Amino acid sequence: MPRIQGDSWKFPATITAAAGAMMVVQPAAALPSYARQTGEPCTSCHVGGFGPQLTPHGRDFKLGGYSDSLGSFKVPLSAMVVANFTHTKKDQTAPISGHDGSNDNWALQEASIFLAGRVLPGLGTFIQTTYSEIDRAVAFDHADIRYAHTLQLGGKDMLLGIDINNNPTVQDPYNSVGAWSFPYTASDLGVGHLGGAFMTGGIEHQAVGASLYGMYDNHVYAEVGGYRSLSTGALDFLGVEDEAGKLSGVAPYWRLALQNDWKGQSASIGLIGMNGKLHPDRLPGPTNNYHDIGIDASYQFLGNRKDVFSLNASHIWEKQNLGWSEAMGEVSRRRQKLRQWNADVSWYHNNSYGLTAGLFGLSGTRDPLLNAPEEDFGSANGKPDTNGFILQADWTPLGREDSPLAPNVNLRLGLQYTGYTEFNGAKHDYDGFGRDAADNNTINAFVWLAF
Amino acid sequence: MCMVAAGLLSAPLFAADAGNGEDLFDTNCGDCHSVSAKVMNRKGPSLYHLIGRKAASLGGFKYSAAMAKSGISWTPQELDAYLAAPKGKVPGGIMKFKGLSKASDRADVIAYLASVR
Repeated sequence: MPRIQGDSWKFPATITAAAGAMMVVQPAAALPSYARQTGEPCTSCHVGGFGPQLTPHGRDFKLGGYSDSLGSFKVPLSAMVVANFTHTKKDQTAPISGHDGSNDNWALQEASIFLAGRVLPGLGTFIQTTYSEIDRAVAFDHADIRYAHTLQLGGKDMLLGIDINNNPTVQDPYNSVGAWSFPYTASDLGVGHLGGAFMTGGIEHQAVGASLYGMYDNHVYAEVGGYRSLSTGALDFLGVEDEAGKLSGVAPYWRLALQNDWKGQSASIGLIGMNGKLHPDRLPGPTNNYHDIGIDASYQFLGNRKDVFSLNASHIWEKQNLGWSEAMGEVSRRRQKLRQWNADVSWYHNNSYGLTAGLFGLSGTRDPLLNAPEEDFGSANGKPDTNGFILQADWTPLGREDSPLAPNVNLRLGLQYTGYTEFNGAKHDYDGFGRDAADNNTINAFVWLAF
Repeated sequence: MCMVAAGLLSAPLFAADAGNGEDLFDTNCGDCHSVSAKVMNRKGPSLYHLIGRKAASLGGFKYSAAMAKSGISWTPQELDAYLAAPKGKVPGGIMKFKGLSKASDRADVIAYLASVR
């Protein structure tokens, strides 16, 4: 069974891209190296003065190749630390790892170094390497390298770019779907649920993708690209676990969005899609195929930036054709479906005090082989369905221009509560061993530092 | 300070509201321009103590050639014309902002900028 938590997480090579919602939570703060490069405070690019939720100005900076600068060279290095305390309502059956207990764990969840900044005009990087105390290992994390140039087309700006990255959606300029969607940080020490769309974490960090993108007149965004799996040698070198297997050929990825920026408000609506054919365990034979298509939307009321209200939402539909898993006798149905959705609304006052409420959900085909009973992590009825909510309050004392230590240090302190109304197919006794969905309700108190 | 700026502008602008100008500045300009007394450049140059400054004269910022050649001194009148149509006032300038169409909004922003010194 796929477990989306700490070092006990195991990608379900036999079953699909079951990269659940918690897997994609790889925080990246407002990076001080960008702030030093541009002279701009974190609040210019990030809602609430801390990453990763982007303002329209931040989206422009990203799409422009992370290369806006004051002109003088700045060392493009930053670092980030995420430490947290995790409490679940009911202890997990077994200790989470050899160095974590079954509940109430403190953890240095991530310590990252970033190579993030302008290389040349139009060319810039966001490259992250992360040490996890939970995994006790260093691994290559998010990478997004891009070049962009603006032309004139019909008297309007036409920004064109090329992007190379290692995780579908990490290149996306919106915070509605995938790598940069809410929650922006979550504990790796909670109980992970089954399932997750291929596009949102299925080949995370295990592939390399290239795409072409364009933004016309700051209104129409389009991107098309594809991904290929990294070799096992490359994954070993990068410290990345080979969880997904190997893509057969190129996995196409596409994105279309319409947006408007009224300065005081901004909004977007979009479509996103990806197909992939996986050879789990890199063995020849039939493939597990995934066809994802999603819709998303976002809205921000920015006003005079004193009180910022934002909303993000997405819904992904996935069709699966699990030929390899069927041949291995690991599924009872070859063709399956999965739906995954999330929405969040946030309010930030004075770029310091934030409240966010999020809803998330996932439903999929009932399959007692794929989703079998297992203590804490399994499903008694074969369904992966999970629904819940997240409430978060946070304080960002150092993100503004007039903050002490700005722009060299930024800090967010937060308290996050995740509640489950359904977990792996049921509200009560979901795993067949007497555990209820609410037993996995999680409190995550975190300290998130960037410098 | 507001009245100083307003006095330099045309008659309908006498009631310029620097408070509203600050809100308009934060909404439209603040991502790229700082008004901190520390004189900090961003994507755009610092606008602290702007009134009376010669265009493209602030050290540490790389202005466009068009702005450098403009010969503008930032009087309220020149600012009003620039804020109405940045590309029209300085063809070849690199500021992407399309301008403020309402004269009263421009007057309010100018009043606010005049107060930041």
